Amino acid sequence: MALVSNILTQVFITLISVVGVYVLTGLTGMFSLGQAAFMAIGSYASGLLVVKGGMALAPAIVLAVLMTTLVGYLVGYPVVRLRRDYISLVTLGFGEAIAALLNRMTSLTGGASGFTGIPRRTTLLLAAVSAVAAIILVAFFKTSKYGRQCIALRGDELAAKAMGINVTRVKMTAFLLSVALTAYSGCLYAFYMSYVDPSGFGWKKSADWVIMVFFGGVNSLTGSTLGAFILSALPQVLRGLQNYRYVIYAVLVLLIINFKPSGLLGEWELTPRNLARTARSLGRKFGTRKETH
Amino acid sequence: MFLGEATKQMSLQIVINGLATGSVYALIATGFALIFNILKFSNFSHGATMTAAAFTAYFLVAAKGGGLAATLLAAALAGALIALFGEFFGFRRITLKHSSPTYFFVSSITLGTLYEGLVTIRVGSNFYNFPSFFKNPTIRISGLVISTGDAMMCIISLVALILLAYVIQKTRLGRALRAVSFDRDTAQLMGINSTRIIQLTFVISGLLAGAAGTFLGIKYTLYPTLGSLVVKGFIASVIGGLGSLVGAVIGAVLLGLIETLLLSLLGSGYSTIATFGIMLVFLLVRPQGIAGSNIQEKA
Amino acid sequence: MALLEVKNIYKSFGGVKAIQDFSLEADAGQILGIIGPNGAGKTTIFNVISGVYPADQGTVILNGQDITKMEQYRITRLGMGRTFQNIRLFKGLTVQENVMCAFDPKSQYKILGGLLPTPRRRSEEKRGREQCMKYLEVVGMADYADERPENLSYGMQRRVEIARALMCEPKVLLLDEPAAGLNPTEVSELTELIQRISKEIGFGILLIEHRLELVMSISHLIHVQNFGKTIAVGTPAQVQHDPQVIEAYLGKEE
Repeated sequence: MALVSNILTQVFITLISVVGVYVLTGLTGMFSLGQAAFMAIGSYASGLLVVKGGMALAPAIVLAVLMTTLVGYLVGYPVVRLRRDYISLVTLGFGEAIAALLNRMTSLTGGASGFTGIPRRTTLLLAAVSAVAAIILVAFFKTSKYGRQCIALRGDELAAKAMGINVTRVKMTAFLLSVALTAYSGCLYAFYMSYVDPSGFGWKKSADWVIMVFFGGVNSLTGSTLGAFILSALPQVLRGLQNYRYVIYAVLVLLIINFKPSGLLGEWELTPRNLARTARSLGRKFGTRKETH
Repeated sequence: MFLGEATKQMSLQIVINGLATGSVYALIATGFALIFNILKFSNFSHGATMTAAAFTAYFLVAAKGGGLAATLLAAALAGALIALFGEFFGFRRITLKHSSPTYFFVSSITLGTLYEGLVTIRVGSNFYNFPSFFKNPTIRISGLVISTGDAMMCIISLVALILLAYVIQKTRLGRALRAVSFDRDTAQLMGINSTRIIQLTFVISGLLAGAAGTFLGIKYTLYPTLGSLVVKGFIASVIGGLGSLVGAVIGAVLLGLIETLLLSLLGSGYSTIATFGIMLVFLLVRPQGIAGSNIQEKA
Repeated sequence: MALLEVKNIYKSFGGVKAIQDFSLEADAGQILGIIGPNGAGKTTIFNVISGVYPADQGTVILNGQDITKMEQYRITRLGMGRTFQNIRLFKGLTVQENVMCAFDPKSQYKILGGLLPTPRRRSEEKRGREQCMKYLEVVGMADYADERPENLSYGMQRRVEIARALMCEPKVLLLDEPAAGLNPTEVSELTELIQRISKEIGFGILLIEHRLELVMSISHLIHVQNFGKTIAVGTPAQVQHDPQVIEAYLGKEE
């Protein structure tokens, strides 16, 4: 039971980050390879505020998320106005720089040997509620004017501008939302693991998240969530295959790219309306079968 | 102003080390820029290609007593083969379908993950050292100490870049490559087999990646995440101007010099951060990069 | 003062002079045609006017305001709408959502409403949807609001694109080859539509078109472009008989 709870808690924490990546990559068509670095900043900042600053948990988390979002603004400012390739290149560089910084500031962060002694405060319930809340917020975001503008500029920036969309600003909004979600996930992570070290936040982790979004369906929040659930639970279950994990992932994704580029679910979303429609068509299928009996 | 003899020596030393570092960054950046140029996406598998190629050369040649030339050749060939594999399994179908850049991005990081994963399975997280290829590890010229490895790196990179420039500017392949990178569909209509040209571009990029990986392995050590040094090539490309080969070389040399200078002033951790800061400022001031080739979406 | 004033604009790409010394004035209720062979710089004129890229020289004034160097989205918000030569509807959005995108920049709710269904968000979304349906009705596409544009015929997609441009509430509407790829029936429907919206909504319309029958039948004034230069300006009747125009279109008799 403890094992299941442990796995689920980690899956829910990952889910929050992946939902953030969905906003950035799925909705807006931007890629961040420094996303994990924002998680690191969230982890370290909230951990430090509580352990060394003596703050209570909730305000520490709020402050940490705000700080990370501010850093996101500084990183995003020069790049959101440029071609979208820049954001992935620059965030990759940013990730490396943050890793170097965390390794270097030994007195504050414990350097490469990690930052220990963070109280264990994240429960399964907190992680689950947070993940569900994150998914709901992002679902609302997707159907809002922001979500529409994100999807519009994802396909055609020039036409989006011609419709009066402030592309730079919408991109920045999406980027900051994803940074904030990731930072929050980092806070939960720190207070669950009670220990963080810089090596866990490299570009591989960011790439992992993109792959999860893509696996389930890059245009579907439901698909991304499902992808995150499957792919982040899998390695926890198959612990013995740790080394093969990335290879298996990669092969799976290459198959999807080549043969089903829209991912597992394509654009399908879990909404009451779609559910009813699917149920109806299934009903028709089985209904006719019963009649012939 | 009077520069003391010692200071002069030191700054000269920094310039030389910077050029050496810059030359290997230039190999990375041009390999990356070639693919960017032709398919208009950032190839994030480039780093892992470097690692995988360098390791292949290590196990097949260097560990069995092969010399520098044989090792480099093996690495370059391995790089080319890996790049061809990637082109076929990662990019061929989405290129033909004119898929959105999203797919290229995901494909490239997936390939990167795959290569790095395979290397990790073979070597664990151990560090490997290339055997010392040179009798004298350093050369001394009037008080300056130059590592023989660095000197070879500079020379070989320079030769490789000159060859590359020749191929692109003077040969039929180069002309076709420029045509395809300008407009793939029109080039195809003009009778250029653009799939073949893309393949060849990947081969060239892979050759460069193999060489760069080996040099990095010699300069530092060989380890599975060595490829993350590719970020230096990316930064160089951004500074130089995305997609411009000349820009990539200039950016790389500049980055090498700046980094070596910062390294001597700030130490290793902070120099990475300072380099990143410089890139951000650079993007604010001159987003089109040094070469100023601005890739615009078609109206 | 005219609604839209384009004064002596120039634009080159590398060595190619795409526009040389182009001027134009458009008023509300007017339809202006711009014609000319391929490569005459017609779309470049639109791109400069709508702010895709700035002119090298010259000025563009919309409703008394200098928009020459203004960002594209700001120009749109000041009152410019456009369609594209090769239809550029947004993939991944329905017809209604496509049109809504042109309302969204004007929608009055903030990020809180972006994440939660606040009362403000609900009322604004409702207002947007109503306007959306209004314009879809104008172009006769209201029945297809929930379709994906890629499932519609070319002619229908054109109409959706026009509805989207109308949603920008333009003072000047730029139509870039709206009849391209349409069959004769669709062309005559389109002709009727353009005339109707011009009368009902009363903005200035600039029209680039290859189908001469369309331009000639609805334009009040026509600019003829060739190799980046204006070779004739006049009413359809005047232009049709201009020797230079005939030469540009039919070639010089040797």
